[in-house]
Amino acid sequence: MTVRELVEKAPFKAAVLPDPDREITGVYIGDLLSWVMGRASGGDAWITIMSNVNIVAVASLADTACVIEAEGVTPDEEILATASAKGVNILLAEGGAYETAIALSKLL
Amino acid sequence: MKELSLNILDIAENSVKAGATLTEICIEETPDLLTLTIRDNGCGMTEEVLRGVTDPFYTTRTTRKVGMGLPLLKLEAEQTGGSLTVTSRHEKEYPTDHGTTVCSVFHKNHIDFTPLGNVVPSITTLIQGHPDTDFLFTHIFPNYTVSLDTRELRTVLEDVPLGSYEVLKWIEEYLDEQYESGGKTV
Repeated sequence: MTVRELVEKAPFKAAVLPDPDREITGVYIGDLLSWVMGRASGGDAWITIMSNVNIVAVASLADTACVIEAEGVTPDEEILATASAKGVNILLAEGGAYETAIALSKLL
Repeated sequence: MKELSLNILDIAENSVKAGATLTEICIEETPDLLTLTIRDNGCGMTEEVLRGVTDPFYTTRTTRKVGMGLPLLKLEAEQTGGSLTVTSRHEKEYPTDHGTTVCSVFHKNHIDFTPLGNVVPSITTLIQGHPDTDFLFTHIFPNYTVSLDTRELRTVLEDVPLGSYEVLKWIEEYLDEQYESGGKTV
């Protein structure tokens, strides 16, 4: 499933979608950025509550399909601008990491 | 990173890569604050590089030698309400007095404070990896100080390499002892 299709089917809002046709192949949940950097796989939808510009760098390094900000966290303009410039998709979810993962599990 | 001691290793590696002959690692603790300062006499950075050094993209994309080390340390300091400052004197402008200082301040009692962890393995790993450069390590507590200066060791050891197993083992015990006896006086 592509990130665009996910946004259409799941209760997630797109914050920025510079690469909407990116295929989602897995899911990773984590907030300790250095940990995520080494553990998330390419193509993962990465669920986190962190919203610092470093998440864009981590998503880019780990080559995740998208970042899903859980628990209603909203990244600021600087993060969104960097994400668009670097081709990192960011989605927003109201639920926690668990609810967000369940929604993904039903669709993937 | 799960422990600040791993960040220390990461930042000090940058110092060595910058050609430092002496890297000073200083941790100062008060009941509320932990200040970590890593100062080297390496080649330093130009103002342009310095400006981008905590920007994860500038660092991961154009100057691979720096990596995510500083952006992550900055995040870890700021999430406790602390701060990170980097100052640098580039060798082109300061031919005799160049180097970089990374100073980070953490509020220890903040719930998001990353624990320091055991610093001793970080120090011995650094010395093992770079036995020909010098390290000055000081960990200052309100009532005692733990320290190690490889320049002093070198004069005592003469031709014995610092990276040898016996020396590293001795350094580890020497530091552990200082922590233990210091802890007893608290």
